[in-house]
Amino acid sequence: MSPVTRQWRAVTGALASLTVAALLASCAATSAPAPARAPTSTSHGSASAAGGPVRQASTTASCNPYESLAPQSGGPSVTSGSYAATIRARGYLIAGVDQTTYHFGYLNPLTGQIEGFDIDMIKDVAAAIFGLSPDSPALAQHIHFKSIDDAERLTDIQKQKVDIVAHTMTVNCSRMQAVDFSSIYYDAKQRVLVDAPAGGAPAPDLAQLGAAHEKVCATSGSDSVAQIQAAHAVPVKVTYWSDCLVRLEEGQVAGVSTDDSILYGMQAQDPNTVVTGPALEDEPYGLAISKAHPDFVRFVNAVLAADRANGTWAKSYRTWVSATAPIPTWPIDYAG
Amino acid sequence: MAQALAEGRAGRLAVAARRESSGRTHWDRASTPGRLREVLAWLIIATLAWGGLATFTASQHASGAGTVVSASEPLSKDALQLWQSLSDANDAASAAILAGSLPPQAIVTRYQNDLNIARGDIVDAARRGGPQGDLNTLSTGLNSYSDEVSRALANNLLGYPVGAAYLRQASDLMTSQLLPVAHNLYTIEDAQLASASAQATGLPLIAVTIVAGLALGFAYWRCGRWIYRRTHRVFNGGLLLAGAVGAVAILWLAGAFLAGRSDLLTAQGQGTTPVTALANADIAVLKAHSYEALTLINNSGNDSNEIAFQAERKALGPGSGSLLTIAQRDAAGSPGAASATAALTAAPAWFAQHQIVRDDDNGENSAVAGGGTHQEAVALVVNGASGQAFQALSTDLTGAITADNAAFASHAQAGQSAFTGLEPGVIVAALAMAAALAWGLSRRLAEYR
Repeated sequence: MSPVTRQWRAVTGALASLTVAALLASCAATSAPAPARAPTSTSHGSASAAGGPVRQASTTASCNPYESLAPQSGGPSVTSGSYAATIRARGYLIAGVDQTTYHFGYLNPLTGQIEGFDIDMIKDVAAAIFGLSPDSPALAQHIHFKSIDDAERLTDIQKQKVDIVAHTMTVNCSRMQAVDFSSIYYDAKQRVLVDAPAGGAPAPDLAQLGAAHEKVCATSGSDSVAQIQAAHAVPVKVTYWSDCLVRLEEGQVAGVSTDDSILYGMQAQDPNTVVTGPALEDEPYGLAISKAHPDFVRFVNAVLAADRANGTWAKSYRTWVSATAPIPTWPIDYAG
Repeated sequence: MAQALAEGRAGRLAVAARRESSGRTHWDRASTPGRLREVLAWLIIATLAWGGLATFTASQHASGAGTVVSASEPLSKDALQLWQSLSDANDAASAAILAGSLPPQAIVTRYQNDLNIARGDIVDAARRGGPQGDLNTLSTGLNSYSDEVSRALANNLLGYPVGAAYLRQASDLMTSQLLPVAHNLYTIEDAQLASASAQATGLPLIAVTIVAGLALGFAYWRCGRWIYRRTHRVFNGGLLLAGAVGAVAILWLAGAFLAGRSDLLTAQGQGTTPVTALANADIAVLKAHSYEALTLINNSGNDSNEIAFQAERKALGPGSGSLLTIAQRDAAGSPGAASATAALTAAPAWFAQHQIVRDDDNGENSAVAGGGTHQEAVALVVNGASGQAFQALSTDLTGAITADNAAFASHAQAGQSAFTGLEPGVIVAALAMAAALAWGLSRRLAEYR
């Protein structure tokens, strides 16, 4: 889903052992999506000796995807002259979203509404702008969802066709040069989805699928293809992620490799599958905002900070990602 | 008549008796009775030969017309119906998924009817000896297709987006594999229909037969003159009778051929030709409509399906060489002409609505506050102005096809009935001519005994 140009690897032994612990937990309870990583308490702005992940940039420009502008102090408020005020005057927030990723951004055919974890973030932001509750039915008229594809995520922000993008969008250095991002609202991990083995046997991870030269599905153009090739599995490329679930259900592939956020959505549609294997790569998701509106980035960061503090974020996580997994955390770094 | 037959029998018996006594004819070949006997033999051979030719000609045209009506036309119609049903089923399946988790019963019924018709057509085509390979591909492919659409509908009912993925896969199977085979099947059956029709309406054979008939008549006339010179009998009853029967046979042949040919050509001009052109347009419209739905189902803005829609739109026209313009031209003068012409204006109306749908979906509709939404775009297609514009266009085309199919059936039927009784009639005529010759000339021969 998200082409990653740099790789952030957790290299501390502490994290490695925590990951093993998480794996064991996931094998013990295959029916529920396991957390990608056991909760780690991380502190502001640090790669701490106490076990916080140390990240290393593997490409040219150095940046920290986990770092965003400091939130508006005193919580989100619409101040005169701010971009939030412009949006409020206009009457609606224009949000570029994905409508194809189950439980993140998708059109629910049962309700005809666009729903999901990404969409909840947009609702929270709109609720703060228009002074409504995120659950208020009146909120709908204050949000215009625009369905965009992966490529439009950057261009629509740059051309200011949309105010904000919530689209399972991984923050990386090259994108950070084109647009601003909010603080990370979801820290996805690359993993694999396979058929749940019968009789509680352990599910194979990508390395084992590769050793058996199995076919593994990914969308063409995603960096999962490279991961699959690196593991010596055979990549099967499709246009949309949901096409991968069809291939898996029809037995044409042995697994699907991508962000766990997308895989959990597939697992929710087919309980005979399981998300498995170690977290291959960090995919931190941020809300994209034009570089022309740093005040709006601060406003959104204030909304996200409040959500994290008051349980709104956790409620969305419980609704859309996992009802049982521990609430995950990751570093929230602010600069300036 | 009985007397004539008795005379003929007596003559033949006398000849046979003389052959038995001498071992060969005692008539000198140069003598008048000898020449007469030779002429009689040649005339009868020529008459029977012409009778054979005329019978062959009659059977060729009658069987051509019969094949058009009873074999090729149903095969071609089935193949066309199969091709249309598959296109319509694919469109209905896309419309069902687009309409929401619980699609309207009318769309589901339309989809199921299309599948039933297609399955029936495959069975019929196999029974009538259609191409085995193509029919097998369609039969197994249709099972996979309906299986995937069922999974699509079931997942959609549960609200799972993987339903759309199953629909994509099903639609891909339909457009990339099944529809080309169905099209090929129709092309084959249509070519066979054209060749059967050409056999029934072809000129060379009938021309040769009529010229040969006239030549035979000329031979009768020369023979009559020769008898007149030798015997000073002005009329020979047998020759006259044979000539008269021959004239009737030629007139019947020519008349049946002209009537049948005219009907079959009308069947082609007002039936097959416009139906093929209209069907090409209709199927392109159905494809485009299903691409429109898939674009909205995929929810990724203007994707490959929108590109495919634009390709169909370009092919449809109207404009020089486009499907709709060709259909309107071919349907001119046929019962479907008015509907085909109406399609020329209905198509741009639908395309304009499609643009509004795309603009709404992309949030770029300047006529709507905020530029429109995906939901507004879907509503336009499912039961709004765009859906109605598509329906109007589709109704025009299917109406024209139905009218011209009926025109084909009635004209081809008339063409076939023009040849009714011609073949046995020609056989009887030729035998009667030979008998008349034998009777007439043997009476002259008898005078020399």
